[in-house]
Amino acid sequence: MKIFSWTGLVFRQTGTSFRHLCWTHLLTAVTLAIALFVFGAFMLLQTNLEYLVRGWGEELQISAYLNNGLAEDRVGALMKRIETMPEVARARYISHAEARRDFQTALGTRSGLLDGLPADVLPASIEITLKPAERSETSVALLAAQLQDDRDVASVEYPQQWVEKLELVALVVGWAKWVFGGVLFLATFFVVRSTVRLALLTRRDEVEILQLVGAPEELIQAPFVLEGLIQGLVGAGLAVAALWGFYLLMQDQIALFGASLVPFGRLKFLPAERLALLVAIGLLLGTAGSLFSLRGFIRTWHASRAQF
Amino acid sequence: MIQVAHLVKSYGLGRPALADISFEIARGEVAFISGPSGAGKSTLLKLLFRQEEPSEGQIWIDGRNVTRLHSRAVAQLRRRIGLVFQEFRLLPHLTALDNIALAAQVAGASKRASRTRAYQLLRELGLKERYDASPFTLSGGEQQRVAIARALINDPAVLLADEPTGNVDAEATEEVMKLLLRLRERGATILIATHDRHMIERYGTRVLRLERGALIGDLARESGG
Repeated sequence: MKIFSWTGLVFRQTGTSFRHLCWTHLLTAVTLAIALFVFGAFMLLQTNLEYLVRGWGEELQISAYLNNGLAEDRVGALMKRIETMPEVARARYISHAEARRDFQTALGTRSGLLDGLPADVLPASIEITLKPAERSETSVALLAAQLQDDRDVASVEYPQQWVEKLELVALVVGWAKWVFGGVLFLATFFVVRSTVRLALLTRRDEVEILQLVGAPEELIQAPFVLEGLIQGLVGAGLAVAALWGFYLLMQDQIALFGASLVPFGRLKFLPAERLALLVAIGLLLGTAGSLFSLRGFIRTWHASRAQF
Repeated sequence: MIQVAHLVKSYGLGRPALADISFEIARGEVAFISGPSGAGKSTLLKLLFRQEEPSEGQIWIDGRNVTRLHSRAVAQLRRRIGLVFQEFRLLPHLTALDNIALAAQVAGASKRASRTRAYQLLRELGLKERYDASPFTLSGGEQQRVAIARALINDPAVLLADEPTGNVDAEATEEVMKLLLRLRERGATILIATHDRHMIERYGTRVLRLERGALIGDLARESGG
């Protein structure tokens, strides 16, 4: 019974605080959102680098671009030569038309850009996937050199070196997000703490009256903690919405300029566990800011009361 | 009901605010603490409802040692004590009704039950027409009546009042005192701190006289009021 009565009281007090300090709470939520957005942008970059590395590492190992105008029987013979190589798991021929179609799909609404260009503007190629045991940098380099020597092959590209470099970049980005995020979170923590402190000062009389009528500390503190939680939640919500907008914008740019760089020509949004991390950090910052502020305030309050 | 033994309260080095105070007030008794400003009246009340802790000595209320309570038990104690202050201490953003109901809700009553009881009290105190008024729009006497209703809503066993008529006019003083003393009929113990001699002469049955932090007199009189 008491818990229902107290819950109602806590929600009403929180609502009152939001009404009285509307702009302060909103600014705090926006500050939180900015910090979470920066952290989320790093996570988005990290996610896509990892996705890229996985895509390149597991799917496409080597692309052998063929000489222009290569006859069908020569293509067939080259395919056979490649497929019989012990390192090769499978090989797939991509004709001029197929390359053009794939690129058009990746361009999406801007597929008209290819209109008017010759049908063979994109070279035919063979995509070679290596057996997992043969994916070391040395094996890939050896095979690439062997293919490069083939008279029917114009050029060879393999992203192995990039894969390893990108893995390193993804790792650095992963750490950078905590360093940059950490600094921003610390700053945000102080902003939240100040907001709750302001709310506490504004409601000093209310806190005192609640104490005098016998409200336990949890009941007095709960509205402020709830305020922090709501601020954290709103901040995280705003950050996720902004990240989604940013993702759509980037998606558009990637489709236009770098579709071939990313697997399936599409970027990846943050997976559920990283979104949950973002929300959890928001809630944690909001709550921690409130609790620290409350502790400091109650300590100061007891000390100041003892002097009079 | 209230027992105070060798109570001392010091703030730093100077003269203690209260020095070796001892007294007992029986259940249902009405007592006044009198004395000039700075005598230690408010300090004594603050120690009784544990807004402050004594430097030395013990306080028992209803058999419980108030000086040894942890914070949760202090909150429980205050729910059993009605408090009335000179400056009313009403929340400006709540209506008269909600100010009163707040104390009942803190004690665990539902919102509906709290408001119903608060309305009954407002009616008993002649303020039912002002139930949704903001404290700002109420006169001093009306505000003090709302504060008294808040103190009464949980049927307290003890009522502590610190200069309850300090901010109200003579007419309202009479009314406020009658309301406070009504609680005696319910068996509550009442302790009122005041420096108003007329009030003590009119209503005081027992007067504890404080001066410079020391209890210099404990006088039982014929029933007043």
